[in-house]
Amino acid sequence: MSIKVKTEQSFLVVNLEGEIDHHNASKIRLELDKKISETDKKKLILNFEDVSFMDSSGIGLIIGRYKIMKNLKGEIYATNLSKELYRIFDISGLFRLIKHYDTVEQCKKTES
Amino acid sequence: MYTNEITLILSCKSENEGLARMCISGFLMKLDPTIEELNDIKTALSEGVTNAIIHGYEQKEGEVILKCRIEGRKVYIEIKDKGVGIENIEQATTPMYTSKPQLERSGMGFTIMETFMDDLEIISNKESGTIIRMHKTLCNTSE
Ligand SMILES: Nc1ncnc2c1ncn2[C@@H]1O[C@H](COP(=O)(O)OP(=O)(O)OP(=O)(O)O)[C@@H](O)[C@H]1O
Ligand SMILES: [Mg+2]
Repeated sequence: MSIKVKTEQSFLVVNLEGEIDHHNASKIRLELDKKISETDKKKLILNFEDVSFMDSSGIGLIIGRYKIMKNLKGEIYATNLSKELYRIFDISGLFRLIKHYDTVEQCKKTES
Repeated sequence: MYTNEITLILSCKSENEGLARMCISGFLMKLDPTIEELNDIKTALSEGVTNAIIHGYEQKEGEVILKCRIEGRKVYIEIKDKGVGIENIEQATTPMYTSKPQLERSGMGFTIMETFMDDLEIISNKESGTIIRMHKTLCNTSE
C-alpha cells in the first residue's frame, strides 16, 4: 500500500494504491495528513483507481480526512470508484459528505 | 455434494487481516465465484477479523479463529475471539454505532457484513468472547 501525491492548480491529488484495510489505513493516514499539512491547496482529490480492496477502515479514513478538510475550509472529492467501492460509499452514506467523479480530469474541470 | 473446510488460527496482528482474505480467496477458488461474490465475502470476513483484533482483543494478545466451510455452493464463515465480548448486540449492530470513534472507526462493520452476506449471526458474552457466523450462497456457474 502506498500513496502518490501531486499538486495541480488548486488541487492536491492523492493516488491511493492497493488494499485499504485496518492494517494499511494507519500508514495512509499518517502520510496523507502530512501531505495535507504541507500544502496550501484546499481541494483534496482522493483517486481510488488503483485501490483493489476497501473495508470499513477506509470509511473511517475518508470521514476523518473530510473533517480535516472541512476544518481547513477546504473540499474533498473521490474519483474512479469501482463498482465494489461505490457500494461501500453508498451504504455508509459517504456520498452525502463527498462528491464523486468518474475521473480526476472531470473533477478538476468541474471544481476549479 | 462437494464439501471442504479450513481453519486458520491468526495471531492478533493487523497484518493478518490481509493474509486471512488471501487464504480464504484461495480456498474459494474451487467454486469459481464471481468477482463480486468473492469481494463480498472478502469484505465481510475482513470486517469480522478486524473487529476481533480491534475490539475483541483491543489490539493486544489473542487468537482469532477463522473457519470457512464449503457445502455445495454455500460458503459458511465463522470468526471467533476470546476477547471482551459485546454487551449490547442491538446497539453494536446499529449502523454508525462505534465504541471507538477515537480510532476513526465508522461503525459500519456489522452493516457491511449483513449487506454483503445472506445472513449474520452474533453470539457474544463477556465471559467467552464473540462468535460471528455468516453464510452466502453463490450463484450457479454456467458450465
Ligand atoms: N469481536 C468483538 N468483540 C467485542 N466488541 C465488538 C466486536 N465486534 C464488534 N464489537 C463492538 O461492536 C461495535 C460495532 O462494530 P462495527 O464493526 O459495526 O463498527 P466498528 O468496528 O466500531 O467500526 P468500523 O467497522 O466501521 O470500522 C464496535 O464498535 C464494538 O463496540
Ligand atoms: Mg468494525
